[in-house]
This record gives sequence, structure tokens and C-alpha cells, in this order.
Amino acid sequence: MIFADAIFIIIVLVTLAGALMTVLSGSIIYALMGLVTTMFGIAGLYVYLNAPFLAMMQILIYVGAISVLIAFAIMLIGPLYKRPKEWSYPLKLIAAAVVALFSFFMFAKVMLKAQWAVLSKPFAISTKDIGRLLFDRLTFPFELISLLIVVAIIGAVMLSLYSRGEK
Amino acid sequence: MCDTIINIVNIVGKEVVRTVVGLIGVFIVVLGNAIMLTWTERKVAGHIQRRIGPKEVGPFGLLQSFADSVKLLGKELLTPANVEKPLYYLAPTLIFVPVLVTFVVIPFDGFLQVKDINTGILVILAFSSLTVLSILIGGWGSDNKYSLIGAVRSVAQNIAYEIPLLLSLLPIIFMANSFSLRDIAEAQRGVWFVVYQPIAFLIFFVASVAETNRTPFDLPEAESELVAGFHTEYSGMRFSLFFLAEYTNMFIVSAIAVTFFLGGYQGPVLPGVVWFFIKTYALVFVLLWFRWTFPRVRFDQLLNFSWKILIPVSFLNLLVTGGILKI
Repeated sequence: MIFADAIFIIIVLVTLAGALMTVLSGSIIYALMGLVTTMFGIAGLYVYLNAPFLAMMQILIYVGAISVLIAFAIMLIGPLYKRPKEWSYPLKLIAAAVVALFSFFMFAKVMLKAQWAVLSKPFAISTKDIGRLLFDRLTFPFELISLLIVVAIIGAVMLSLYSRGEK
Repeated sequence: MCDTIINIVNIVGKEVVRTVVGLIGVFIVVLGNAIMLTWTERKVAGHIQRRIGPKEVGPFGLLQSFADSVKLLGKELLTPANVEKPLYYLAPTLIFVPVLVTFVVIPFDGFLQVKDINTGILVILAFSSLTVLSILIGGWGSDNKYSLIGAVRSVAQNIAYEIPLLLSLLPIIFMANSFSLRDIAEAQRGVWFVVYQPIAFLIFFVASVAETNRTPFDLPEAESELVAGFHTEYSGMRFSLFFLAEYTNMFIVSAIAVTFFLGGYQGPVLPGVVWFFIKTYALVFVLLWFRWTFPRVRFDQLLNFSWKILIPVSFLNLLVTGGILKI
């Protein structure tokens, strides 16, 4: 299975390269391009794991909606691309390091603790299974998330109304 | 000769050969379609305005597009001084990815399809978002106010019209019970879905005109205000890649409309692939017709129409369809 391993490694490298570009690039629009690359990499991992529905949803939502919205916001705030990245505040660096280390150790602990089951047959999850899971067994969390999103939408609308001066 | 081909097929495997042959076919269709459509567009425009259109090069001016493409190939590739180079070069290439991916899942006939993926329509919708992204970075990287305004408009428009586009396809997916384009075409053996879902068809068609930036909604490249919109700074082959993508997108939205609402490749007497192209080009003709019939809408009209009319109507349509199917 050298071929499959090679593909897996390439996908992971692309994902990591995108993530590094997001964090390190000096210009906000290149950071966005890095984010898009990462999202495609994650979609590639889903395809590798035989879950094409999840992969397509990943691209549709994270590239099609979220990245485009971020890009739209970048366009509205003006030409920042000529400004170098500010590493000036030491506090910023310390805060970033603390957050990064904390999440690294947390994920490491979870990953090391988990029991990885070895499947006898190839893993496959169909769109139908996902639908059953979401609307049958996990209806309550699903509805809770919907409620959260509705609250966020109403909040955004209220904020934009207030900033326009209409009360 | 025949033995050699069979040997090659046996060595590399049927799927690989099918994919390679399919991709070559896709390239031929993309180029042939663009060359034919530029000629058709000019001819249709001419006759609608009581002119003749191109007539000098070849019979009926048929070779005009070939002459134009040779001219474009020979042109110098100008790169303006202040462009953001990586983005500027990436945009015309990136706009071609969704075009090629989309063609993989379109069923031209019962078995004439590069690959039947069981999440077919999601592949198309997911990758079509790359078009917006490439318009965005092209317009942004050009360092030109017209390009930037064109790109911003394009994003606002695409966000607004992608929602009704998706919502108008969902009732069909309910009825066919599948994401695969071939299953959806097969489900229309008896009655076309346009009979059950006329509202969804209208919403889809309006939204797809907006998604392809065609005339009543061509604000991203409104010639009279923005020079050429997001591709103002592009010349030669880079410009023609944008051009090619635009014409191919017209073909793609028409092909999706045919597959989802007009029975796909089904039809009497003639073979399926002929029916498919007849139906698709009939819809493409309607798109060309729109261009010379309707004036360009204002930007607030465009956004209001989507958010206040199309989206609520398509939600209602979805709700009613779901209710009826459940009963």
C-alpha cells in the first residue's frame, strides 16, 4: 500500500502547508488563500477516508461560503496587503504560544488515550446514514446548534441596525 | 491495432482508460462549445438588432471565432506594473478548475459520462464556488479600481444567488431520492420534473443567469460603468481563459437545468446525446436572447430580488414539496 500512503502523505503536506501559510504570511489575502488550501486538504482527507459527502460539504461550506465571506470582509476594509506583518508586541507572541501549547497538549492527550479500533472491512458511511444520524438519533444537539445560529443571525442583524443609527 | 488497444486497456485498467478518454472528450467539448458560442452570440445579437453579424470569414462567418482565437494566441501577455503577481497569475488558472470538474459528472447519455459519482450535484455546487474565489483574487490582484469594484459586486451577487440556486435543486433531489445526476435523469423517464416543479425551474434559471454573470445581472463586468469589470487588466490568452470559462459556465448551467428539469438525455427517436445537446443549446439560446431583451438591473434591485423574493419563494416551494411527498 505504498501508493495509498504516498497519497495520504501528500494530502497531509498540502494541508499543513496551507495552515502554515495562513499563520505566517504577511498579507491577509495570502493568509486567506492558505486557509482555502487547508480546507481543500481536509476535504481530501475525507475523500481518502471514503466519505465523499463530508468532503463535498467541507468544500461547499468552508470554501464556498466562509472563505468567500472572509474575502468579502477583506475587500471592504481596504488595501492592507502592502503592510508587513506586525510581530511587534511581545505580549501577542506570548499569548499565541500559550494558546498553541495548551491546545497541542490537549489534542495529544486525547489522541494518545483513544483506543483505535482496527476495522475488518473498509469503512464507508453513506449520505443516508448521515441523515439518519442527524435527524433521528442526534436530533436534540442538531436543534440546539440551529438555535445557536438563529441567535447569532439575530444578533448580527441587531448590531448592523444599531450601527446605522436606527433604533 | 485493435489488439494493441485491448492490451493497453488490460494493463492500465478500464477505469483509468475511461477517465483519460473522458477528459480528452471534455476538453474537446469545452473548446468546441466556446468557439461555437462566440459565433452564435454575435449572430444572435446581430439578428435581434436587425444586423447580419459576422459574415466575412468563411461561410456565414463560421470561421470568425477561429480567426479570433488565433489572434488572441498570438497576442503579447501584458502584465501591468503594480499587480500582485501570484494572485494575478493564479486567477485565470483557478477559474478553469470548476469548469473541468463539473464536466466529469454531467451525464451526456445513459453511459456517456466520465464518472458517475453518487454525490454528483454536490461536486458541481462545491467546486462552482471556486469561480467566485478566482474572480475575487483576479479583481483584487489587478490593483485597479474597476477590477476591485467588479470583484466585490460579483461576490455579493454570487452569495445572494447561490442560496436560491441550491434551494431550487433540493425539491428535485427529494423527488429523485438521489444526488447522482444519472439517477435524476433516469427518474424522469415518464414525466419531466419541470411539470411538477415549474417554480423551482424558474428560480433555478434566474439564479443561474446571475451566477454566470449574464446580462440582466452582469454587474461584475458592466461595460458602461466598469470598463470590463474584474478582467480589465487581463490581455491575450489570460483574458481568453476568463472568456472560455464564461461560455463554458453558460453551457454548464444549461446542462444542469436540462438534467434536473427537462428530462436530461431522454427523448424519442434520436439518440440521447443528440437530445441532450438540443435541449442544452435551446436553453443557451434563451440566455443569449435575455442579453438583448432586458436592460441591466440596478445593484440594490438585484440583491433585493434575491433576498426578498427568490429565497422565501424557494423555501416555500421546498416546504410544500416535502409536505406533499411525505403525505
